[in-house]
Amino acid sequence: MISVENLSKTFSNHTIFKNLNLKIATGDILAIIGPSGSGKSTLLRCLNLLEFPETGKVVIGDQHYEAGHISRQEIVKIRQESTMVFQQFNLFRQKTAWQNVAESLVVVKHVNKQQAKQRALAELAKVGLSEYANFYPGQLSGGQKQRVAIARSLATDSKILLLDEPTSALDSELVGEVLATLRQVVADHPDYTVVLVSHELEFVKQVATKVVFFEDGQILETGTAEEVLEHPQHERTQQFLSRFTQQQLAHS
Amino acid sequence: MPKLIDFKMILTNIPQLLQYLPITLAIVALSMVVGLFLALIIALVRLKKIPGLTQLFTVLVSFIRGTPLLVQLYLSYYGIPIALRYWNYYNHTDYNINNIPAFFFVFIAFAINEAAYNSENIRGALLSVDHGEIEAAESLGMTNFQILRRITIPEALVVALPTLGNQFISLIKGTSLAFVAGVVEMTAEGQIIAGRNFRYFEVYLSLAIIYWVLTVITEVIVRIIEKRINRFRATQNVITAGSKRPSAAQTVAGVQSQPAVSEFRSDQKPV
Repeated sequence: MISVENLSKTFSNHTIFKNLNLKIATGDILAIIGPSGSGKSTLLRCLNLLEFPETGKVVIGDQHYEAGHISRQEIVKIRQESTMVFQQFNLFRQKTAWQNVAESLVVVKHVNKQQAKQRALAELAKVGLSEYANFYPGQLSGGQKQRVAIARSLATDSKILLLDEPTSALDSELVGEVLATLRQVVADHPDYTVVLVSHELEFVKQVATKVVFFEDGQILETGTAEEVLEHPQHERTQQFLSRFTQQQLAHS
Repeated sequence: MPKLIDFKMILTNIPQLLQYLPITLAIVALSMVVGLFLALIIALVRLKKIPGLTQLFTVLVSFIRGTPLLVQLYLSYYGIPIALRYWNYYNHTDYNINNIPAFFFVFIAFAINEAAYNSENIRGALLSVDHGEIEAAESLGMTNFQILRRITIPEALVVALPTLGNQFISLIKGTSLAFVAGVVEMTAEGQIIAGRNFRYFEVYLSLAIIYWVLTVITEVIVRIIEKRINRFRATQNVITAGSKRPSAAQTVAGVQSQPAVSEFRSDQKPV
């Protein structure tokens, strides 16, 4: 489970969010939607301490921290509690697909190299990239890179998956393959807690068990996917969804 | 007419001079290894902006880069004995300066010189590493040291290697100054030979040939290493050139991925 209490974060005097509270139950798939720059990704990055909040408490899986009182060892432990898929894939470009997946197994979990390779190949097979195991990231398409990144996350065995706009950097024709992979991941791991920041509202509707609408560092609306996306109560949610639908229509 | 140039002597000098090649190589290898280690520390301290040490290293780098290597060798040669005398005085010890081999003064001067020059190179290379990869490693739970060893240094090495290679070549040539501190390496031996037969031109030409060959060998080795650590880029070029493409598109969870031909986007330009 994830619990966020009174979390505040500023970037050079600009408040991203203040006294934010959020609870995500184990096995929930929470989608955070909202306009760009509203602090969605920053919230996600505060959960695994890629960003350090100024105040507040966070419980993530079996670990917890209080802002401002975190030792270096605690940071590493908290980060190991979850795993993240990034917008820009962030693959290690000097390592092949299987080496990318095996890296955390070898370095963090001290699994022997041969076993790590077997596990990496198995994870790559799950995302349909067996034949690409020896390819370097530079040889893969955006969609394939993101699928390698998903396999890399799954290999950590962390049961908390943080997905930071996993399809935003992809051409529209490549989005489908990544969403299909994610759909499969979610179906295969019902015990995983997933926090998803995404603009893919159709996908959110299909997989999310809970949706929050986030704007200017505040949660304006929370509910099931149907409640928030089909029958939004807050005026800003309605405006956002209507504008978003218009943009989608114009785009198509 | 007397023989102006003794060509045979140029060749016969070479084996004699090569007897001192191990000394030259020992200075180069030790100074480079220690210099690189110090350079990495200086670069990391300056990148992390550690108060006190950053300022100290900034002045040190500026001083070393702003003074001739010859002067630095003299400073090492005359400075270390003074430092030892101070040490003996304040710690009531009795270390004998005569027990320190001349090689040590040379090694210290070269190592610090290498550290200063390479630290700037390494700092730039470390800054060039994609921050996204470091974040990915952090999110996987790797410690700072693991990230440095597994991700940052290998990535930075690709950027730093050409300059490191040049610096290595400068160091090989720089060892010819070691004689001022009393180390008999190839150049010093050359001077000894020339002092005996007065054929200075032939001896220096022999030395020039040796240094040139050493430089060429170094260049070849650096090129091989460069090729090896750049293989992830080389394959990228091959593929974007279209001669070797990933095999057939695959089905993932019921969705057909795009065919291989559309899998290469415009951002995958040859490096």
